[in-house]
Amino acid sequence: MSRPGFVLEVDDRTPPLVVHEGEGFRLESFPLGTRVVYPPETLPALPDVEAAISEALLNPVDSEPLPALLRPGMRLTIAFDDLSIPLPPMRAPDIRQRVIEAVLTMAADAGVDDVELVAANALHRRMTADEIKHIVGERVFRSFFPQGLLYNHDAEDRQNLTHVGLTDQGEDVEINKRAAESDLLVYVNVNLVAMDGGHKSVPIGLASYRSLRHHHNAKTMIASHSFMDHTRSHLHHSAWRMGRMLSEHLKIFQIETTLNNEVFPEPYGFLMKREWEWSIRDQASMLAVRRGLSVAPARVKHRMFHDLRAPYGLTGIHAGETEAVHERTIQAVHRQQLVEVQGQSDVLVMGIPYLGPYNVNSTMNPILATCMGLGYYFNSYRGQPMVRRGGAVILYHPVKADFNQLHHPSYVDFYDEVLAESTDPLVVEEKYEQQYATDPWYVHLYRTSHAYHGVHPFYMWYWAAHAMDHVDDVIWVGADPKSVRRLGFRAASTLTDALEMASSTVGPDPSISYLHNPPHLITDVH
Amino acid sequence: MGRASVLSDGLDDVRKVARGWRWGRRPLVPRSAEAFVPEVERSVFPTAWSRTLPASAVREVAQKAGLEPVFRSQVRTRVEGLDVLDRVEGPVIFVAPHASHLDTPLILLSLPDRWRRTTAVAAAADYFFDTWWRAVGSALLFNTLPIERRGGAIATTPGDVLAEGWSLVIFPEGTRSKDGWMGRFRLGAAWLAVEHGVPVVPVVHRGTFAAMPRGQGWPSREPSTGHRAEPARGRSWTSRRGRRQLTIRFGEAISATPGESANDFAARVRAAVSSLHDEDRTTWWDSRRREAEGKTPDLSGPDVARWRRVWAQSESPVVDTERRRAWSR
Repeated sequence: MSRPGFVLEVDDRTPPLVVHEGEGFRLESFPLGTRVVYPPETLPALPDVEAAISEALLNPVDSEPLPALLRPGMRLTIAFDDLSIPLPPMRAPDIRQRVIEAVLTMAADAGVDDVELVAANALHRRMTADEIKHIVGERVFRSFFPQGLLYNHDAEDRQNLTHVGLTDQGEDVEINKRAAESDLLVYVNVNLVAMDGGHKSVPIGLASYRSLRHHHNAKTMIASHSFMDHTRSHLHHSAWRMGRMLSEHLKIFQIETTLNNEVFPEPYGFLMKREWEWSIRDQASMLAVRRGLSVAPARVKHRMFHDLRAPYGLTGIHAGETEAVHERTIQAVHRQQLVEVQGQSDVLVMGIPYLGPYNVNSTMNPILATCMGLGYYFNSYRGQPMVRRGGAVILYHPVKADFNQLHHPSYVDFYDEVLAESTDPLVVEEKYEQQYATDPWYVHLYRTSHAYHGVHPFYMWYWAAHAMDHVDDVIWVGADPKSVRRLGFRAASTLTDALEMASSTVGPDPSISYLHNPPHLITDVH
Repeated sequence: MGRASVLSDGLDDVRKVARGWRWGRRPLVPRSAEAFVPEVERSVFPTAWSRTLPASAVREVAQKAGLEPVFRSQVRTRVEGLDVLDRVEGPVIFVAPHASHLDTPLILLSLPDRWRRTTAVAAAADYFFDTWWRAVGSALLFNTLPIERRGGAIATTPGDVLAEGWSLVIFPEGTRSKDGWMGRFRLGAAWLAVEHGVPVVPVVHRGTFAAMPRGQGWPSREPSTGHRAEPARGRSWTSRRGRRQLTIRFGEAISATPGESANDFAARVRAAVSSLHDEDRTTWWDSRRREAEGKTPDLSGPDVARWRRVWAQSESPVVDTERRRAWSR
């Protein structure tokens, strides 16, 4: 029986607690009375994954069974989430592989010849062949990739985009042409957190910049309270309008999967346990890992973390009509991640780990660290934010100005040029977004190399816009002061210093909450 | 990073973990997390070996050559009522309030050797039997056997031990008092007495909470009372200084009447303990009179502020140690 998440109140019996900070973690002694939000323990995985997949495809929600939708001579496209989820990447076999194999088996039985598979990477970087292979598995990869029938979506390939129409609010709906012109589009999703899935899959994952700009903008994202609650997120409202409009033109069979909280494999298992329950072995593992990290060269340390493959277990799979499926998916995600919290705090503390959606096999640069902290973690709430309006946020991360030139070329210029002039999301959007979004060099790198789209760093900055609008102070502990100043924030050496600095905003005796994340959690703040 | 820095950081980490995770001490759960501690299915730790002849021999040496000298060097004791044991056949169940870890050695070391050697102690499985070394140590030294106190379930072992002719010490509250006063009696002891037809010998003690309350690992010394110029009349200085004074009194054995329920018998045992405590605190005659009037003070203590309850119990009992003379001088 998995225990629910809960809120710990730090007292004299509480040992130091783990706080992630990039490619490492520290043991932090929090002030007495600090509230620490722990996610629910990992839920038991479904014992028979194949049976669960089969059941979902044969008895879908508000849809005919998948075999009934398949016929010879039809055009079938299978789209799937890219490497940005789950985090860390899933230990093989990835759940998408198992679902896609089941779909293809049914398609083969039905005599469907015209099948293509598209990675729904939107403006994310093109995945390498190995990365695609890890997601779909060797069998699918060998059958489709060499023939060019398994590929990354290209949001800048005008020849292969279809403008389906406008929503009732005038938003362009433009998606991958192959998908738009298929008789059936099967979307295979991994719903790691509540913001994934639903109409965010097809209308966003397979879209072009022209379509994405309607919801990926500062104004919409400031008004999304939060991204983890699609009923209150303006970004999702826009995606839902697009999805509903799309479903009038295109038959979509949505398959959504949910995972448990098995994030860290051994010997990092202690990171998923509640600290006071650490056995002697856990304590020894922690000490050994800490020592190893302290002496390891940067490259080795990077590998130690980025080679991690999570032993996730499947907790649910639903297929059929997108919205009906997604409601069930959200319930499953909440079962694993939702924690009830009473009231907001003056200060919210978060440790930013080594990995976010946009630095898989890459580097977490300062903009991505900001997006991870103020975008994803800050928005991991339902109801109201964990921190009160006008409060302070304290983040842990080294925030080194290290950029992966292959993956994040436009980030370098965004950091050096745009943020040097303004850190206000509305200002940078107004002044620079178009220039970066249409820059031919960035477009070229996005299409032919493995670079994120030129506009991507702007989107990362918009992700953080709601938090920047909500709190008055953002302080990074253990960060490079120069980088942090460029981001428009402040740096502190220790938590004590950070609280001292925040006292001008929240007073000398603030209430403090710490999100003990990862594993993933969503606070339900009453 | 230099080698020295790596070493010192490593040592800092070890120190932090040793302190945070209380190496060498019992781990603690943060109070707000106590509700989320998982129920652990414990197997009954086998203790039959501790009641074999060789183990008894080792225990005899450990108690008489180790425990008793140390105990007597730290506290002073006054033992009363042992004559009741001459009027009862074993096995019996000794029932006592529980205020301190001193209670068990006080009871065992106060018993006549014949009784002490055939008496076992019921101890909380989740506390005394959570690690093998603690289980072995307590079983060997105190002849403990585990009982489950969570959920009210009681292991089968105590009944077997009684059936084998061993007497038992049971603290019916199931845990040490937080303020020195007696808590709610659980039914385990009464149920065992009814079920196995053995008498209950009520036992009371005073001063153990004052000497070594919860959270303290060793008996404290009596604080000096420098403000007193003279000892009170009839009392010696030694009763107020140095080693803490403990008292223990054994009461008349009581047995369940035919058809009496464990619930009713537990109430009678509790009343007997309260009356015995009143006797130890005052005199036999006064306590009898109060009992007849139904005015025996309840051992759960007065309904006053918590600090006053603790305050009242944190003073060691005063014992009249002046030697009486047959003829006045």
